[in-house]
Amino acid sequence: MKKFGANREEIFHLLEQEGEVTGESVARVHKATGVPEADIWGTAMFYTLINTSGKRVRVCDGLTCQMLGGDDLARQLEDKGKSCERVSCLGQCDLAPATLDEEMELVTYGDRRTCVTADNPGLPMNLAGPVDREMQALAAARRMDRQTIIDEIKASGLQGRGGAGFPAHFKWDSVANQVEQERYVVCNADEAEPGTFKDREVILRQSHLMLEGLAIAAVAVGARDIFVYIRGEYVNEVRALEKAIAECESVLGDLTVHVVRGHGAYICGEETALLESMEGKRGMPRLKPPYPTESGFRNKPTLMHNVETIACVPSIIHRGGQWFRDQGRTEPGSKLYCISGHVNRPGVYELPLGVTLDELVEQAGGYDGNPLSFSPGGASSGFLPMKYRDLPLDYKNLAEAGSMLGSSGVVVLNDTVDMAEAVAWQLEFFERESCGQCAPCRIGTQYLRRQVHKYLEARETGHLNMADDVSWEMEEGSICGLGMVAFKPLETARKHFPEAFSSPNGKPS
Amino acid sequence: MNEVIGTKTFEIEINGRTCQARVGETVVDVARRIGVDIPTLCHDERLDPAGACRVCLVEVEGQRRMQPGCAWRVTPGMKITTESERIERHRRVLYGLYQADHRLDENGLPVESPNENELRTLCEKTPPLVLEPVHAPRRGRDHDVNPYIKFDPDLCILCARCTRYCDEVEAVSAITLAWRGGETTISTAGERGLLDTSCELCGGCIDTCPTGALIEKKAPPLVQLQANPTQTTRTTCNFCGVGCQMDLHVSGDQVVKITSPEPGETLNDGNLCVKGRFAYDFIHHEDRITEPLVRGEDGELHPTSWEHALRVASEGLLQVRQRHGPDALGFISSSRCTGEENYLMQKLSRAVFGTNNIHQCAAT
Repeated sequence: MKKFGANREEIFHLLEQEGEVTGESVARVHKATGVPEADIWGTAMFYTLINTSGKRVRVCDGLTCQMLGGDDLARQLEDKGKSCERVSCLGQCDLAPATLDEEMELVTYGDRRTCVTADNPGLPMNLAGPVDREMQALAAARRMDRQTIIDEIKASGLQGRGGAGFPAHFKWDSVANQVEQERYVVCNADEAEPGTFKDREVILRQSHLMLEGLAIAAVAVGARDIFVYIRGEYVNEVRALEKAIAECESVLGDLTVHVVRGHGAYICGEETALLESMEGKRGMPRLKPPYPTESGFRNKPTLMHNVETIACVPSIIHRGGQWFRDQGRTEPGSKLYCISGHVNRPGVYELPLGVTLDELVEQAGGYDGNPLSFSPGGASSGFLPMKYRDLPLDYKNLAEAGSMLGSSGVVVLNDTVDMAEAVAWQLEFFERESCGQCAPCRIGTQYLRRQVHKYLEARETGHLNMADDVSWEMEEGSICGLGMVAFKPLETARKHFPEAFSSPNGKPS
Repeated sequence: MNEVIGTKTFEIEINGRTCQARVGETVVDVARRIGVDIPTLCHDERLDPAGACRVCLVEVEGQRRMQPGCAWRVTPGMKITTESERIERHRRVLYGLYQADHRLDENGLPVESPNENELRTLCEKTPPLVLEPVHAPRRGRDHDVNPYIKFDPDLCILCARCTRYCDEVEAVSAITLAWRGGETTISTAGERGLLDTSCELCGGCIDTCPTGALIEKKAPPLVQLQANPTQTTRTTCNFCGVGCQMDLHVSGDQVVKITSPEPGETLNDGNLCVKGRFAYDFIHHEDRITEPLVRGEDGELHPTSWEHALRVASEGLLQVRQRHGPDALGFISSSRCTGEENYLMQKLSRAVFGTNNIHQCAAT
């Protein structure tokens, strides 16, 4: 019975061929792979895209879709006799409200179109620009010494764009200096943070740029196999990616790119949960250390980066680290900001890292209505009041404000939104997406969501008396980042919008 | 597989006290050796550390976050704190969360179980923060008709000791964590009853369960045990020649449960098989033969002495050999015999009676 290796990695693929997960189909997959039946079952049941049989429409209940009529849409579809499932953010906030139909194809109902920054060759990623199929930066990197490539990344000041903002070159250095020679590069395209859809646009418009960045990383750290773990809901994006891989096969030469599709679990965006998932297991984060750079995929040194981070790499090699650094305002580089909610032209805008909310919203056609609050970096960043509209949207300033840049999925909420209700939506998300491995997160997310719902029913603040203690424990005691931030929407909203959490007599909680 | 413990020793500090530690040891290993109590729930020395229950979090100098003592490997000069205001608050709130997700008794404590509920013990020691219940939608397997193992999801803390034991120690993998978040539960492929899985009904999952979420179906209920406390008697299992040690739990003159001694104490290291743990009904069965019997001329069995019974048997065997030759005889030994006893049996067959017709029930 293999714990690691190809057999276990095969199970998702085989379950997909089976079409549904039942005792019988699991038995057949067991026969084909030798992986214990219970393990296959337990793994399959973790993932929402495969754990329930039957066709249905998946209606997004991410923050933006909730604000822009997700509930009404679900009701209308059900009235038409459709079977509906409310699902976590589908990454289509700019097109909200969004659904996946019975065949898993994207259907949006908003009257808007995705906007991206206009073509400008001066931008590092330039989403609207032409595609470089020749991959000139890769050709340059192949002529460079490995250490020189890494030094260039260091000079650029590139920070991980997935959320943590960790300096990229540390990871490159660490993987490149491991004794173990079998190494992997993994691209985290499991974009699922509510409010975030930037990686989607990179994959749809500039897959080649991302593949080129991955190839440069593989050259620099001495890897041959590149894996792109992409969320299962991104059907069009998988097609775009596979097409791009086929197109640039000859340019990539001895490097092989493997596409691994996710099966419906936000937590697999956490890097070690992602690795577990790639190995055919439940997406439960590992204890760290060891970090993936030391012991990652198949317990080998693994360089892992978010799509956007890796898409910055070609221009860094092409035009130099210092040039990239200069593109930023308060911190190095340009940044893809997603903006949705109550603005006129939601989309993905490539701007200097450190622009303010007002500047970003100006790009996005201005505010829709009277802005009340914004969530700067996905559900994990909580809510900030408009007094922060002039704060640079970067890693340092937002952290100091008790929030974070995270995935830079900015959502603007105007004064038609009840902040307490918005908090409840975000808490529902974390409750549903907690992996369940550790108690602070598993029980804490359930507790906070229930208490906020109890508050909403009676507007009785007593229900929130213990919320601070529970939040403290979630931050201190959880294994991974999900539990460590899942209380943020409640904590920040109570801090900045006490009036939304007051008893009928006006007494704040 | 646990990390190999080296022989090289070095010094670390626990709560300001200098002590010796070895390469590969965890904080919990060292602390327990020197008598410092670090509470644990998901820890079982036979299993890889999971660090999942978070009960054993300690402060490690230089680490911003508290770290799980069961999984954190010591290094020279490491400074550990196991008691502080921060750790105390962590335990109080964490136990409170567990309590909010557990069946409680009339005093608001995690319920007693026929087996010990370690969560209750911890909550008695460190009074938890009282929280409203979360009513997690965990599923059980009420339809499971297996005769031995019962799962009660309301007492489960999802420490996954049972599933990891089933996988890492028994290599059976009959049970698994399934679903996720608040719905996470202990399940089987297709949510089948254990009899329809690879389960061997060894009951090791019951043994490792810290809260009594997994219990013996045959054991008396808690109220009965409280009314008639049991005494334990250490004995050797007689189902095979391995020599597993086991503790008979006796209530009155009835054996009501069998458990293994603690892991590390005896050669079976906390494990028993389905026979050792559950096949004790024969002890009090009315059909059990408790003395030698010989069939008389009347065709009925009559009690007799061992000496007489053995003489009748040997005379009968010798007569068969005399009339029909040695190969008219066949000898079958039992898997309940030791290797030495089986050796003697084949010697009896070959050397005394002169036939190779010798077999043992476990040989096929």
